[in-house]
Amino acid sequence: MTDKRMTGHVPGTIVLWAICILFILVPLASFLAYGFLPVIDNAIVYEPTLDNFVNIFSNSSYRTTFLRTMLLAFEVSVFNFVLGYATAYFIWRRPPAWRNALVIALAIPLLMSYIIKIYAMRGVLGTNGLLNSALLAFGVVDEPVSALLFNLTAVRITLSVVLLPFMVLPICVALERIAPQVLQAAADLGASEIQTFRWVILPLSLPGAIVGAMFTFVLASGDFLAPELVGGIEGFTFGRLVFSQFGLAFNWPLGAALSVLLMVVALAVISVARRLSNPRWQS
Amino acid sequence: MDAPDTDSRHEVAGDRTPLLRIRGLGVRFQDFEAIRPLDLDVLNGEFLTVLGPSGSGKTTLLRTIAGFQQPTAGRIEFDGRDIADVPINRRPFNTVFQDYALFPHLTVRENVAFGLRVRGIARATRDARVEDALGIVELEDLGDRYPAQLSGGQQQRTALARAMICEPRLILLDEPLAALDATLRRQMQKFLKVVQRRSGITFVFVTHDQSEAITVSDRICVMRSGSIEQIGTPRDLYYRPRSRFVAAFFGASNILEPCRIESTGEDTTMVSTPFGTIRVDGPPPRVREGLALAVRPEALVPAAGDACNRIECEVVSVSFVGSETITELEHSRTRHVLTMKTRSDPSTRQPVVGSRLEVGFDAAACALVKGARE
Ligand SMILES: Nc1ncnc2c1ncn2[C@@H]1O[C@H](COP(=O)(O)OP(=O)(O)OP(=O)(O)O)[C@@H](O)[C@H]1O
Ligand SMILES: [Mg+2]
Repeated sequence: MTDKRMTGHVPGTIVLWAICILFILVPLASFLAYGFLPVIDNAIVYEPTLDNFVNIFSNSSYRTTFLRTMLLAFEVSVFNFVLGYATAYFIWRRPPAWRNALVIALAIPLLMSYIIKIYAMRGVLGTNGLLNSALLAFGVVDEPVSALLFNLTAVRITLSVVLLPFMVLPICVALERIAPQVLQAAADLGASEIQTFRWVILPLSLPGAIVGAMFTFVLASGDFLAPELVGGIEGFTFGRLVFSQFGLAFNWPLGAALSVLLMVVALAVISVARRLSNPRWQS
Repeated sequence: MDAPDTDSRHEVAGDRTPLLRIRGLGVRFQDFEAIRPLDLDVLNGEFLTVLGPSGSGKTTLLRTIAGFQQPTAGRIEFDGRDIADVPINRRPFNTVFQDYALFPHLTVRENVAFGLRVRGIARATRDARVEDALGIVELEDLGDRYPAQLSGGQQQRTALARAMICEPRLILLDEPLAALDATLRRQMQKFLKVVQRRSGITFVFVTHDQSEAITVSDRICVMRSGSIEQIGTPRDLYYRPRSRFVAAFFGASNILEPCRIESTGEDTTMVSTPFGTIRVDGPPPRVREGLALAVRPEALVPAAGDACNRIECEVVSVSFVGSETITELEHSRTRHVLTMKTRSDPSTRQPVVGSRLEVGFDAAACALVKGARE
C-alpha cells in the first residue's frame, strides 16, 4: 500500500522533498550551523567547535533560565490539559449546531495576530484591567492588584489563554471521532455515565489530548513575545534569552546554539507524544 | 385487541409466557410515523425475527425496545412491568449492533469483559466467564487482538459474546450478518441458532432477508411501513401468507388477481380468477372482497394431468439456473404471466419456447390473500 503510493508518484514525491529541503531544511540547518562557530573578539570564526554548548551548560544563569522555562511550559501544559479537556468535553456535549459554533469561536483567535492577543491579555491583567475590575466588583480585593502583571504568573496566564485552542481543538477532533454506537454499546452493557467516561470516552480521546499537550509544551517553551510583554524581569525565559542574543547582544552563534538546545527538547517531546498518541489499537 | 395474532401465536406459544408485551407502541419523528401503534408479544426463550423491507421500521422498533429511542405512544412491559422509566443501562437486554460497535481501544477479551467489569464482578470470576464466552464463539485464540485486527465474522462473534456474557433476558440483534459474505453468513446463522437454543436467551433478530429469517426463527414478524403485516412460524408465512405483500416477500410470486369467491365448502373454496376457476384447500377466508390468489412457482408442475387445478399456457422463456429451471408462461387466453420453477433433471426435456404447456397445481399449494387494494 505504502509502496504503491510512493512508486506511483515518483516525480511528485521528488518535487515535494526538494521543496522541503530547499526552503525549510537548508535555511534551518545553515542557521543552526552558526551554533557550532565560536566568536572571538566580536567576530565569528569559521572553525566548528562545541564551545558555545560548553559555555551554556557551565553558565548557571543559563541553566536556571532553561529549567524555569521548562517548568513554565510544563505547568502551562498540565493546566491547559485539564482546562482544555473540560472545555472540549463541554463543547462536544452540546447539540451539533452549538458545537460547530463553539469550535469556530475557538478557532478564530488562531487567525488573529499573536501580538494583538498578548496586548489584549496585558489589558486584561493590568491594574485597570478586566480581571482587576472583576475582582473589585466581587469584593475579592479592596484595591487593584498590581501583582497580576510583569511576573511569571502573568506569563503563565497569558500563555494558557493564548495556547488554549491548541489543546481544545485536537481533543474536540478525538471526541468527534468516537462513534455514537460505541457509547450506546457501553450504556447497553450496563455502564453508568461515569463508567462510560472513565473506560470509553477518556481512553479514546486521550491521544488527542496528548497531541494538544505536545503543541502547548513546544509552543510555550519557545515563546518569547508573551514573556517579553507581560513577564517583566521575573518572567525571563529561554525564548527571551535566545532573542536577546540575536537582537541585543548580536551574538548569533550563541543564539543559534541556544536554539539548537530548544529544538532538541521540542523534538524529544514530539517523539514521546507521537508514541503516546499512537496506541497499539489504532492500526 | 389484546391478541393481535392469536391463531399463529398459539402454534409456538404453547405454555410459554410473553417476556415482552408491547402494546400500542408508536414512534413518530416530527410528522413521520416510523412505527404505527402496534401490539407484539415476545415469548420467553423464542427466536423472533423482525423481517421487512428497508425503511419498514425494524431498527426503530429494536431501538425502542433497547431504550435508545423514546416511544411516542404505547408501552412496553417486561415480565409484567412497564419499563418506560428504566434507563438503558438498567434494562436486562443487550444489543448486538449492525456495525458491532466494539470498543476499538480494548482487546477482544476486554471487550467481552466490559459488561462484567461495569457490574464490579471480581477479576477471577470475570476471567473465567470471559474464557467461557470466548469458547462458545470460538475466539479463544484471538483474545488479545484489537477489533481493528479482526475479520467481520470475528468482530460479529465478539459482539455476540460481549452481549451474552451479561446473561441478559433478551438479546436484540440488528442485521448482525448483513456485512458478511454468503458462506460465513450461513455459518453464522446456524451458529446463532445453536447458541440461542443452548443459552435459552430470547433473541429478537432483525433482517430483511427472508431466507435468513426462515432458517433461524421460531417466529417471524413481518413489518411493512411501520405496521406488523403478519406474525407466525416460518411455515405459516411460507404456506399461509395472509397478504399479497407477505406472499411476494416469501417468494409466492404468482399472484392471480382479481379473485372472486364462487362457493365455499368446509375445507375448500372455489375461486374464479383470470386463469379460470381454481380450487383452494384450507379454511374459508374471513373476508370475501379484495382477494388475490398466491401460488408458489415451485408448486406448478408441467403436464400434470391429475392435478385438480390446470391452466393452459404458452412457454415464453426457459432459463436453466443450476439445480432449478425457471420457466415463464403466458396464459393462453388472457396473456397473464406465470412463473414456474422445476427441479432440473438431465433426463427430461426442457419445455420449448413458444410451445403450449398445461401446468397444474395442487389445491393445497395456493393461498388466498389480501389483494393489493385493501
Ligand atoms: N431519527 C430519525 N428521524 C427521522 N426519521 C427517521 C429517523 N430514524 C428513522 N427514521 C425513518 O423511519 C423509517 C424507519 O426506519 P428504520 O431505520 O427503522 O428502518 P429499517 O426497517 O431498519 O430499514 P433498514 O432495513 O434500511 O435498516 C425510515 O423511513 C426512516 O427514514
Ligand atoms: Mg435498520
